[in-house]
Amino acid sequence: MTGPATISFEQVSVCFGNTVALDKVSFEVGAGQKIAVIGANGAGKSTLLRSLLGLISIDEGTVSVDGESARTSIDWMQRRLAVAYIPQRPSKGRFPLSVKELLGSSRNPEVSLSIGHDLGLSHLLEQSVSTLSGGQLQRCYVARGIGSLAGGACALVADEPTSALDFNGQKHVAQLLTEIPATLIVVTHERAVANNCDRVFEMASGVMREAGTS
Amino acid sequence: MFAWQFIDLFSLPSVQRSAIALAIAGIAMPIIGVFIIGLDVITVRFAVMHMALFGTAIGLWVGIDPTLCALIACVSTGLFLAPLSEKPGGLAGSMSFLMTISAAAALLVLSISGVNANGAFEILWGSILAVRRQDLALIIAIAICVLLFVAFTHRKLSILLFDRELAKCSGIRVGSLTAILLMLIAVSIGSSIRVTGALLVDSITLLPALGARNLATSLKSMIRWSVVLGLTGNAVGFVIALQLDLPPGPVLVLVAGAITLITYLATTRKRAADLVTH
Repeated sequence: MTGPATISFEQVSVCFGNTVALDKVSFEVGAGQKIAVIGANGAGKSTLLRSLLGLISIDEGTVSVDGESARTSIDWMQRRLAVAYIPQRPSKGRFPLSVKELLGSSRNPEVSLSIGHDLGLSHLLEQSVSTLSGGQLQRCYVARGIGSLAGGACALVADEPTSALDFNGQKHVAQLLTEIPATLIVVTHERAVANNCDRVFEMASGVMREAGTS
Repeated sequence: MFAWQFIDLFSLPSVQRSAIALAIAGIAMPIIGVFIIGLDVITVRFAVMHMALFGTAIGLWVGIDPTLCALIACVSTGLFLAPLSEKPGGLAGSMSFLMTISAAAALLVLSISGVNANGAFEILWGSILAVRRQDLALIIAIAICVLLFVAFTHRKLSILLFDRELAKCSGIRVGSLTAILLMLIAVSIGSSIRVTGALLVDSITLLPALGARNLATSLKSMIRWSVVLGLTGNAVGFVIALQLDLPPGPVLVLVAGAITLITYLATTRKRAADLVTH
């Protein structure tokens, strides 16, 4: 790992047609800090994470990592390598891919496999991702995200990474995520995850405000 | 047909060339089929065919080698489609757009230049029994390109074909890789139409890949299965066609179709059995 990064949003706005998904959002996450983002469905939480990764276009403002903003496609590619991502609805894909290959796509396949083992994925390695349950798939993406951190990413953004897990799984993943020595932004509805973060932000109608510290 | 007559047939250079072409196409083209299914561009061949026709028409008009012009048109198809693959629903719409525009442009060029339209179609439409040395060389060159491409980009390809967003998040240059894939698909299909005829392109390209998708758990296994099914279909179809003195094109398609159906039925039964067991 290259060391935790600072992440800063400055006056970031994102619109989808007439809908304002992010409305001049500004905040900073210090290096190694862990923040939870809570809020109702449609509040703009996922858009926040996706704008950091350049998976959607930002209409106004800048999102920088360690003071560097991304402009060109190469910059965004480097951003996505620097910031590991666990998506909200992990894709089962439209094409055969084995669990082992999915874990192997992280920046550090060995660590992903090891975390996968911890999360009970060992017996599924040769299986196609399309055959996994929602919880198993989510565990795969968590293992992949942590592997990417170990491979050099300096931050992790996770979008409801425990939503499909059983109670024990939620506890285990919450512990894994909040113990990693990296900057973390996690969108969550789980109290267990939010309670373990340094700060909690709340989003409503694209506006973000700090809800408190844990 | 007696066995000795059948063996005698294989002493004919044209039959030998056809057999070699089918064997090599049986390895390379199913892999192209895997790419086509992975990118969800099954209708790409129509766009490619029309662009190739447009290229041929231009070639005939200005007096440059029409096959070369058709190949350039195929490469352009890939280049044109690649940026559109980033747009939501981009490829399906742009392929229809390209197909319509290129067909119209080809007919216009043919009309303006006074070139015989049938001549342009004949250059494009080949037959597996009429494979020439240069066609065979083209198939071999494409097969080498496809195999090298897979060997060097296998890991990236697995992720790209699985999920574009995951590929982006894995630091893969999604746009460039998609552009190369689309160009490879376009050139392979354009050349195959010339070599084997339009009907056979589907059977040697898509059907083995569709069958392989029923059996595979990863890109690697899908490529392996598609090659196994492609080679099997081509070999069985070609032998049946020669043995029964039937036109090879339709026989090869029907055999490839039967194999695909068998893989579907076999996996459906297996899934049903698994459900009962669990």
